[in-house]
Amino acid sequence: MIWEVFRQDEPGGYHTHCGNVHAPDREMALLFAEIQHARRKPTNSLWVVPQKEIASQTDETDRFGGTTDKTYRWVSAYNVDVEFAKEIEDSDREQRSVAGDSA
Amino acid sequence: MSSLSGPDVLSADERAAIEALVFPLADDEFVLAERYTEWQVRAPTLESDLALANVAQDELGHARLWYDVVADLGYDEPELLFERDPDAFYHASLCALPFETGDWADAVVRSYLYDTAEGLRLDSLAGSAYAPIANRIERITTEEEYHREHAATWIKRLCVDSEGRQTVQNAVDRLYPYALALFEPGEPTQTDVIESLGLRTESLPSLRGQWIQTTSTFFDSIDVSVPVVELPQGLPEDPGRHDPHVAAWLSLYDDFTRTYRELDRAHTPTITSEHNDG
Repeated sequence: MIWEVFRQDEPGGYHTHCGNVHAPDREMALLFAEIQHARRKPTNSLWVVPQKEIASQTDETDRFGGTTDKTYRWVSAYNVDVEFAKEIEDSDREQRSVAGDSA
Repeated sequence: MSSLSGPDVLSADERAAIEALVFPLADDEFVLAERYTEWQVRAPTLESDLALANVAQDELGHARLWYDVVADLGYDEPELLFERDPDAFYHASLCALPFETGDWADAVVRSYLYDTAEGLRLDSLAGSAYAPIANRIERITTEEEYHREHAATWIKRLCVDSEGRQTVQNAVDRLYPYALALFEPGEPTQTDVIESLGLRTESLPSLRGQWIQTTSTFFDSIDVSVPVVELPQGLPEDPGRHDPHVAAWLSLYDDFTRTYRELDRAHTPTITSEHNDG
């Protein structure tokens, strides 16, 4: 029987999946998980979960999103290059000075 | 008590008593770890393989802690291990006895018997008058508790059917007399000094009595019977400590000293810089 192992570094943190162990029951699973994932690392808590109790789906059977092009929502759509900032600053200064000349 | 604060303030008698107490502790841990490593890649499952390798690694760490106590009295690493006469080792034979081939019950029963003894022995040293002994106990104790839990858990699982219980019973019958020798002194003539100096706060027969009670209660609870052994005549012919070692000890000794000999090492590098200037 396979048990998935989740480990928490410190109180309040997330339990993060870190691997699995073969064990006949809960007690042995915890014992093996402790050996493999907790004894030599700072660990606050361990969970073991029977693998068959975990519900899962993948993007092969279900669409999780990204079905239409929404790349404009990504932060990468905004150009944050410092060279551009400089160019905008220069352009702004130039326009102000032209506006000043005509006043 | 403060007169025994460290290695620099000891009389010759005190040194001899400390050595007689610590050598058996260190040798038990080291030799048992050497035996455990034979299970590497041969244990029943990957998980149990890793578990026993972990236990072995812990025991090697404990051996180092104890050898460091005698190293501070003037021994170096070749003298302590790689060039020591095999007859001058003080481990009990339980630690050097070969495993029955492929018998996992042997490994976990041996661990249970040893680690239960170790727990009691450590308790009797926690209040040691010699500070370098007392201040090591806490660190070792937490790991030994884990070993005991691991072994006891396995033994209970093996006993869920009659075939498994029989393998546990066979291992108990075979190992129990050897385990009783864990409570033999390294140097019998030093026992009185060890106790009068307060290096150990409980006598070996008292520790042995507690061990028999604890192990009997556990095995009774899973319908495994514990052999009644008359002492001292019921001990094996080769119990170890100051008495003869099992024959297989010599080949184990050859194994762990082989690389040292083949490389014709003049000195042993260690991972601690303080001992690395030789």
